[in-house]
Amino acid sequence: MAILRTILAAGIAVAALCGAASTATAQETDQVGRQAYLDAVKGKKVIFIPISQGFDLNQAWVAVWQRHAARYGFSLEVRDPNGDTNAGIRAMQGAIAEKPDLIIVQNPDVQTYARLLKQAQQAGIKVLQVNMQSATQTDSYVGNDWIEMGKLEMGELAKTCTAPNAPSHKVVWLAGVQTGAANIYMRTGIDAVLKQYPQLQLVSDQPADYSSEKARQITETVLQQHPDLCGIMGIWDNAEVGAGAAVAAAGKQDQVTIVTNGAGSDTGCQSIKNGLLDVIFNFNAPVQGEIAAQQISELLQHPDHKAGSEKTIFFGPVTRVDKNNATGRNCWKIDELK
Amino acid sequence: MTSANQRAGAIRGGMPRKPIKISQEKVVIGISVVLFSIFSIVLDKFLSEGNIIALLKNVSILGTLAVGMGLVVVGRGIDLTMVAVMVVGVAFSIWVSSLGIDFTVAVLIGAVLVALIGLFTGVMIAFAEIPPIFATLAIASSIYGTGRIIFPSDVLYAPNNVGWLKWVGSGTLFGIPASVLIFGIVSVTMGLFLRKTRFGRLVYATGDNPNAARNMGLPTRPIIVTQYIISALIAFIAGLIMTGLVTGINTRIYNSSLIYDVLLVVVLGGIGLSGGQGGVRNVIVGTILVGILTNGMTILNVSYTNQNLIKSVILLTALAIDAIINPRDEQTSQTGDI
Repeated sequence: MAILRTILAAGIAVAALCGAASTATAQETDQVGRQAYLDAVKGKKVIFIPISQGFDLNQAWVAVWQRHAARYGFSLEVRDPNGDTNAGIRAMQGAIAEKPDLIIVQNPDVQTYARLLKQAQQAGIKVLQVNMQSATQTDSYVGNDWIEMGKLEMGELAKTCTAPNAPSHKVVWLAGVQTGAANIYMRTGIDAVLKQYPQLQLVSDQPADYSSEKARQITETVLQQHPDLCGIMGIWDNAEVGAGAAVAAAGKQDQVTIVTNGAGSDTGCQSIKNGLLDVIFNFNAPVQGEIAAQQISELLQHPDHKAGSEKTIFFGPVTRVDKNNATGRNCWKIDELK
Repeated sequence: MTSANQRAGAIRGGMPRKPIKISQEKVVIGISVVLFSIFSIVLDKFLSEGNIIALLKNVSILGTLAVGMGLVVVGRGIDLTMVAVMVVGVAFSIWVSSLGIDFTVAVLIGAVLVALIGLFTGVMIAFAEIPPIFATLAIASSIYGTGRIIFPSDVLYAPNNVGWLKWVGSGTLFGIPASVLIFGIVSVTMGLFLRKTRFGRLVYATGDNPNAARNMGLPTRPIIVTQYIISALIAFIAGLIMTGLVTGINTRIYNSSLIYDVLLVVVLGGIGLSGGQGGVRNVIVGTILVGILTNGMTILNVSYTNQNLIKSVILLTALAIDAIINPRDEQTSQTGDI
């Protein structure tokens, strides 16, 4: 929780500094800029359009934002399209028509909302994108550097699978969906590492569609073809448990290294403890939520800034979690965030 | 009427099929044999024992679901609730167990819930006389939607200390994985049920001509209700296989194309949607073709999106060949054909 507090403090500090600049004549009894900040965010309307609220990372973000909304009196509405792209487009159109002060969006892929995001910006609505980017850049993006994520994961496999005692140089990339921003960018990172280690052999790269059963099926089939497989990398801990199950069923847990990334929820840590996963690059969704919360407060505080006039990006921290540190704040539970 | 008589004769096993008659089932067997031979020659290790077992294991869930769907389709119905029932039934059991109840007891509670859902679906179709395609489509959404409200997350993990569930996931008997074994048991039981029991015969009679069956005094409504209860319970079994295999269940599978894959297997195998024809053998034939295709394409590293495309082209080809060989006319077509 120390990190959360630090980031929160940093956010408030930034807010206070901005406030101080504009309200130099604040009353002495009041903390400098405090009242201006509270007035600026109070009663503002924020709409969040996720891919689906069923994901652990989304639940963490919303838990964090709702805490901020309750504290400062802005409203946060979640319009959940539940994984349906068409419903997502309708939700976006609806949100634009309502003219909120801020739209937060988690893009299902790079194209779907690209034009709508442009429309929103033209209509003067500020847009914050979280973790999944669109082809259209808006006021702010908070989330992963997915190219770095691809490099981290494949780099981890490169380290293991080019070692002298590695079973082979064969690795597998279990993607999510091919058009997703995370997939496209991760692939760039992966290719960079593969270029650096030409001896690595990518024997299979198929999207498992974020499904653990599909990941299990692909892994089981690939293991038959390449019994000396060295490593598997994926995109979501909750899907790669399927790959882990296939490796465990083949009795190859010591041979095959499974690397993936995740929001850092306790279920991921349990999967590491159960031997289904080896390494999770944890992007800690609650911390991501706090960083996004800072962006929310910044965007709400400056209604005079034109939507889309400044474009900022912040990549959150990533922690490498294996069985040695799968504890404490690397394994959050949603109830602890509320 | 002649075709109906032939069919009835063939089902009873009393009358030999005409040697020149090439049924859709045989077309599918033919395509399977051709694909199997091509893959065996082209793909290294396709023919290995391990790969064949992996192939069967990977279709065990699909096949189990298809057996349930087959029963309903034979009775001139369609059950689009199966995937919803599968994920919500199992997720409900896991959720109940998270409240401190023993997992095995929780599964039994889940089974009761699933049977009640099946009963409700059956009553809506048999007594309220809502066409099955609409009734089950609507009920599927309601089941999944209710699940989304109750369960905290899309992905629910089963407790990892349940012996029998571990066996379902990774146990074997004489080298056959438990999941394949369960698929086999469900298939054989259903086969015997349809062929050897009076109730099974009544399902065919109801499916072939519901009005005639009713005029003869058969209890068509209770028969229809029972079909949906059985198919719901089979969906639940498929869900337990999945939970065993990948240690948890992702309710998001409801949004995937799985239910259409199940229908594909049933129709591909040669169970006409107009009811009253076909049996478990057709389901197995369809399942194995899909299994060979998926396995071969995964080895060839064909992407998931392209796999779906190829799968649908093969389905269309099988249906087209059947339409050419066995053209529909006034005698062979029935009312209720979709």
